[in-house]
Amino acid sequence: MTEGTATIRTRKFMSNRLLNRKQMVVDVIHPGQASIAKTVIREKLAKMYKAPADTIFVFGFKTAFGGGKTTGFGLIYDTLDFAKKFEPKYRLARHGLYERPKTTRKQRKERKNRMKKVRGTKKTKVGAAAAKKGKK
Amino acid sequence: MEYISIMFMQGLSFLELKYHTLLSYLINLSHVVLRKVSGASIYNEPCIDRLVELRTVLERLRPIDKRLKYQIDKLVKTAVTGESSDASSFRANPDNMVSKLDEDADENEDEDAATEKKSVYVPPKLAPVRYDGDESAASRQEKLLERAKRRALSSAMVRELREEFLDAPTELGSRVDSGAGPSGPSKEDRERQEYEETYFTRLPETKDKRKKRKLPTIGSLANELTNFESDFRVLEGEVMPTKKRKSSKKPTGKKGKKGFKKRKSR
Repeated sequence: MTEGTATIRTRKFMSNRLLNRKQMVVDVIHPGQASIAKTVIREKLAKMYKAPADTIFVFGFKTAFGGGKTTGFGLIYDTLDFAKKFEPKYRLARHGLYERPKTTRKQRKERKNRMKKVRGTKKTKVGAAAAKKGKK
Repeated sequence: MEYISIMFMQGLSFLELKYHTLLSYLINLSHVVLRKVSGASIYNEPCIDRLVELRTVLERLRPIDKRLKYQIDKLVKTAVTGESSDASSFRANPDNMVSKLDEDADENEDEDAATEKKSVYVPPKLAPVRYDGDESAASRQEKLLERAKRRALSSAMVRELREEFLDAPTELGSRVDSGAGPSGPSKEDRERQEYEETYFTRLPETKDKRKKRKLPTIGSLANELTNFESDFRVLEGEVMPTKKRKSSKKPTGKKGKKGFKKRKSR
């Protein structure tokens, strides 16, 4: 597996002050290889733009037909706080900065229906745990 | 003086002012006439100044008078006829709202002409459209021929011949998918790329695109192979360019060949 022969070019660079970030279109040229991993691309962008790699988010990579060239988008936030504020949750989850609640849809709906039977502050006591014990 | 003060205790109304000025004007005018008739000079007479002053006041009164004219006439009419109890006599008079300018005559003529041709509806021409009137038939033919020649030069058959006989290196691969056509990406592909790069999103792949990706020559390979008569001969000037006809689709409409509707097979 040959490494390091990929070239990264950025196009349409724009600094978006409203969202405190810099956004660009990222072109990766990797003739004869499979498309490059996102983490590698982030590190290279960090070197190019002298920003910490954890504030860089890349997504939407599509390889052109025939291979050799991949195009995607990149965002570089000013600070990690702004990134946590503005990025959608699924992209934060890819970096490990966000955990989705593990409750399944069915469980949420069942809990809601149990809560419908009770009035007032008892609603919070109608926990999933209590009802599950009862069901079991 | 007491008499005068009583009269003007509640202020001077517009009409009263008008009458007083008119009266003073008349008095001064008659004084001037008298002097002239008796042969005296009116040089530096104070009554001339007074006349001028009164004239100015009257001129200033005139526009206000014009505005009040309608109301005053109405009131005078009701006073004369004595029908003030009927409130409907004060209603609006729509005939007075029509403008009495010269445009009126022309508008009436146009309306009559338009109502006669009520049978055919002509939509209004709002959007600008290309003007072809100055182009003669010969120049149009020339343009069509030129366009057909350009199309023929970049057709698939000619490209393959070029590849075979010229010494230029072969170009592969990079111009498929988004760079599909002979002149690079099609207009649709270009627009999609522009949109995606501006809005930083990826648009989902449409059904046709997916089919084309999986089976790239479906529906188009046979046409490419068999459609070479018109391409070449246009270049030599032998044949006039024919209109491009899209391949007619199979009639998938309501009734099939045998005259009854096609049922969905289980």
